[in-house]
Amino acid sequence: MKVNTWMPAPLRGLSPSQRGALLAFVASIIILIAGGIYRPGLLQPTSIANLLLLASFIGLAAAGQTFVILIGGIDLSIPGIMTAMGILLTTRSLGQDARAWWVVPLVLVVGLGVGAVNGLGIVLFDIPPVVMTLGMNGIMGGAVLGLTNGFTCAECNSVAPPSVQTLITGQLIPGVPNGLLLWLAIAILVGLVLGFATFGRRVYALGNNATASYLAGVNVRRVTVAVYALSGLFAAIAGIAFTAFSTTATLAMGDPYLFQSIAAVVIGGASILGGRGIYWGTVAGAIFLIVLQAFVFEFNVPEATRSIASGVVILAALLLYGRETREV
Amino acid sequence: MSIAAQRTSVRIATGDRLRFYSTQNVPLLLSLGLLVAMIVLYVILFVAKQGHAPGSFEFVTTVNNTMSVGLASVGQTLVVLTGGIDLSVGGIVDLTNSLAATMMANNPGSMLLISLLVLLVGAGAGLLNGLLVAFGRLQPIVVTLATLAIWQGVALFVLPQPGGTIPNDFSNLLTGTVPALGNLPCGIIVLLLLIALWQVLRRTLFLVALYAIGNDERAARANGTPILLAKVGAYTLGGAFSGAAGLYFAAFTTSGDATSGTPLTLTSIAAVVLGGISLFGGRGSAVGALAGAFILTLLLSNLFFAGVNPQLQDLFSGLFLILAVVASTLVGRLLQRTRRSAG
Amino acid sequence: MPSIEGVQVSKWFGGVRALREASFSAEPGEVHALVGENGAGKSTMIKILSGLFRPDLGRVRVDGRDVTLDNPQAAMRLGIGTIFQELTLLPYMTVAENLLLGREPRRGGIINRGAMPVAAQALLDEAGIGGIQPLELVANLSLAQRQIVEIVKTISRQPKILFMDEPTSALAAREVEWLFGLINTLRERGTCIVFTSHRWNEVKGIANRITIYRNGETVGTYDASALGEEEAVERMTGRKLEMLFTAPAPLAEYKPVLEVRDLVANGVNGVSLTAHQGEVLGIGGLAGQGQRELLLSLFGVNRPRGGTIAVHGQATRIGSPRDAIRRGIALIPEDRKTEGLLLPLPVRQNLTLPILDRLASAGFVRRREEADLIHAMIDQLGIRTPSADQPVGALSGGNQQKVLIGRWLLTQARILLLYDITRGVDVATKHDIYELIRRLSEQGHTLLLYSTDTEEIAHVCHRILIMREGRFVSELSGPNISPEAIVAAAIRVPGQVKVEVPT
Repeated sequence: MKVNTWMPAPLRGLSPSQRGALLAFVASIIILIAGGIYRPGLLQPTSIANLLLLASFIGLAAAGQTFVILIGGIDLSIPGIMTAMGILLTTRSLGQDARAWWVVPLVLVVGLGVGAVNGLGIVLFDIPPVVMTLGMNGIMGGAVLGLTNGFTCAECNSVAPPSVQTLITGQLIPGVPNGLLLWLAIAILVGLVLGFATFGRRVYALGNNATASYLAGVNVRRVTVAVYALSGLFAAIAGIAFTAFSTTATLAMGDPYLFQSIAAVVIGGASILGGRGIYWGTVAGAIFLIVLQAFVFEFNVPEATRSIASGVVILAALLLYGRETREV
Repeated sequence: MSIAAQRTSVRIATGDRLRFYSTQNVPLLLSLGLLVAMIVLYVILFVAKQGHAPGSFEFVTTVNNTMSVGLASVGQTLVVLTGGIDLSVGGIVDLTNSLAATMMANNPGSMLLISLLVLLVGAGAGLLNGLLVAFGRLQPIVVTLATLAIWQGVALFVLPQPGGTIPNDFSNLLTGTVPALGNLPCGIIVLLLLIALWQVLRRTLFLVALYAIGNDERAARANGTPILLAKVGAYTLGGAFSGAAGLYFAAFTTSGDATSGTPLTLTSIAAVVLGGISLFGGRGSAVGALAGAFILTLLLSNLFFAGVNPQLQDLFSGLFLILAVVASTLVGRLLQRTRRSAG
Repeated sequence: MPSIEGVQVSKWFGGVRALREASFSAEPGEVHALVGENGAGKSTMIKILSGLFRPDLGRVRVDGRDVTLDNPQAAMRLGIGTIFQELTLLPYMTVAENLLLGREPRRGGIINRGAMPVAAQALLDEAGIGGIQPLELVANLSLAQRQIVEIVKTISRQPKILFMDEPTSALAAREVEWLFGLINTLRERGTCIVFTSHRWNEVKGIANRITIYRNGETVGTYDASALGEEEAVERMTGRKLEMLFTAPAPLAEYKPVLEVRDLVANGVNGVSLTAHQGEVLGIGGLAGQGQRELLLSLFGVNRPRGGTIAVHGQATRIGSPRDAIRRGIALIPEDRKTEGLLLPLPVRQNLTLPILDRLASAGFVRRREEADLIHAMIDQLGIRTPSADQPVGALSGGNQQKVLIGRWLLTQARILLLYDITRGVDVATKHDIYELIRRLSEQGHTLLLYSTDTEEIAHVCHRILIMREGRFVSELSGPNISPEAIVAAAIRVPGQVKVEVPT
């Protein structure tokens, strides 16, 4: 098994996934510092906290995407679920805390359920993940439009319940938005599951070789449905979080998260073919994308540049560590 | 299986050829069947709602609505045959339609030149994809995701706000009708040319290479297939088709818009899937992709004429796509079972 | 003048030296066999001579001239044809498209698809093959048919030098006869044929000369008629032949552990058997008669449509590998690299994948307990690995096989289904595996063993059931067991199987 020999020794000891994560973190810090030299305001604690909070929405949406990509699939329905769940939150709760206690669980269950349907379609009917989740995304979009009458319904202007808003934008620890704490907790949980739980082992086994895993007694179907269900759940969480942050929900709010969720996973060092990658890499990727966005924004470069820059960054990440150089 | 030294009959009966063809091309035949069903449904719904049969206007509109998706899906077919996927289709359409709308002037020279330029730009974008996938050994889904973002950005530079114009003559050329041929839509002529082109392309070493790579890249390499060249070719030609799609898009809308081509990525994939082409590569025909493109257009028309709430369009489209694949899977399983019990 | 030569060839793979100044030479009109253990260098030599690899040191000569073979195509242009175990057929294309790949009939500059089936049929006729339809998809052919198409494809290009790596591995006796007929014809035409094989009687049956490799070096080249099996094995391994096989200890008592009655599944047409505690039961017969399907149905992969299975007297339904594992049944599959091991993952995870639930509390793995189990198994089987976190793909083939076996021993399965587990394994590891089989049998495990190596089945099993067309047709036990009897029962011809040796 060969390893790129130009790499310094300490880096060689890490797995490719860990290397990717580290690289993305370091690159984020470098860009942030570079931006901070010209615009010191960028490096203020409140600014950084805000950036990280924005990154958390990508990170939450991409948590599900991480699991799905780890088993070699893809979830194109994340934007649709995010938007739909955000709108479900506001229109059912009508901005009232009194309703929040049942609306929030409802949203989570629906998200989980939609994801599970994705998984079932894939395992029961051999529908390619691209097709199943693409179709589901359309179904989500259409359902939202239909049920809200083109987003002209009376409840459509509702806000998220204040308690939910506090969950994201409040500050238990002064200076640190609660949403960051939520993200940290989720990151630790996901990291533990992927690293030490039986479910995590099976996810990596499945992503590496579905046939061998099946013959070793892994319930491939159950793991697949569970992974897509999780993706739906995380998309719902991201939808709730983003809606709480923006106070209201809008029709296209989930759209940017398709590209960004996949980009975060890839920049974080995971292999798009599955079997390799860690959530901390996705976290690093999400942070990197937001830092890039902030950099571009601060320097008043047109929006188009951000698009180009994101694309170039992904290619760079792939060329650096996206190639299958191992010979096993 | 017998091991015989004597010569067996050298002729292969037409009946046998037909039998083999039909059992090996079930997805394509299903797709064409679905197309016919959609056309029949269209006629029925149209008559029910409008009180008279659909005429030349409906024919032309349907064709024009389909052509850019159709061209994009032919390009997507080439890439998918190798087992890859091209997510940058939408970005290339954004870019090329913006270029056409900003640069095309109202004279034949300009129209020809800009058309060629646009095709070259599309091919160039595809070339970049191909080089990264073949020589860079990167995965197509993420490479084309990245280039999608890049071309979307470049398109916004070319045309920050929707605008620009396409000369009427050019628009008519692509989306008009030919009176001499009974008001046949120009698009149909392009369609027929595409189908003819495919029949020729299908019989070139290039396409054989694409099919081989999609079947089993390792085996293809062992057989001496020029893998790198073929892959680069597939993405480059795919990009050229996306460029042509952008050209058609501009001609159809008679102006430019740097973001409205984006949905064509996923639509071209849907068309390819509805056309019976396997996303794993190695199997399928571009004729199926063209059928898939028409199926998608007719679906929207059918929903409209059936009085379905237009807001639910996306829902039904998504549902339709999923159900079509489920049906195809179930038919495939049925055939497997009948073959196993027969054999 | 030799057709092809390798002169003082050396080759390294990473830090491992696969060939050390090894030489080889074969003449036109000769059939030359390369034998040796896996890793001895014979496959590497063939791959270098056919252009797949480039030698690090040394030269390759064709017809006396030094050549550089950049790739298999360059070799093809020099008249070298190769047939390797990994088939190069394209599954979703027809037999005709595969046979004519690269030389399709043309008309007007493009391929004439209409003429292809006829042209392909001509190639099949010339090779003496009937019954394979040119318009059939390769994916719909049996493994043996695919191997035959691969052979026809290469031979129809009329190579001057033909390399074959284990060409008979998927073929039954009659197909082997056909192949040897072809080889004879090619030999008469002056073709130089070089092949590797693990099947001694085939090697003796067809080769003019035999070259033995050991540890990357040429041990020597011998006249096939003069070389005896014992001598050959000794030179290949440096060990004596008797030590290779470990005869099974006779059973003290017959306690049924697995009872199968009238089992019907895909490829299984009414199988009944009883396997006893401590028994090593061999499943023999020609390749492709349902042995694989039988083992897969006992493991829950090939779901039974009829019949019963009882484990330790309890009737049971086995609908998936998980069910089988729960009943204490383990399957060691055919291809460890694609069906067994997860190559990029560490030894640790490969070993404990089936038993994760047993090692977990609240869904999390108890790492200390896992580590203890793993290290015990590594010691028990003698698995050579720097650590338990080493990716399995980095281990040698023999050690990989041991990891796979270790995984199943950890499941504490009492019934082990072994599918061709010594295929592609070097003699030293084979010996270890036979020892292990004997030990397991003494400890009371029940083993069902399928192997394409009749010598192996003959020497290692208590009883052998011969399968044909999905059911058992005869049973051999005790003194009746011999490789010849097995083959005879398999093809239902009384007496010996003869393979013609030309003079």
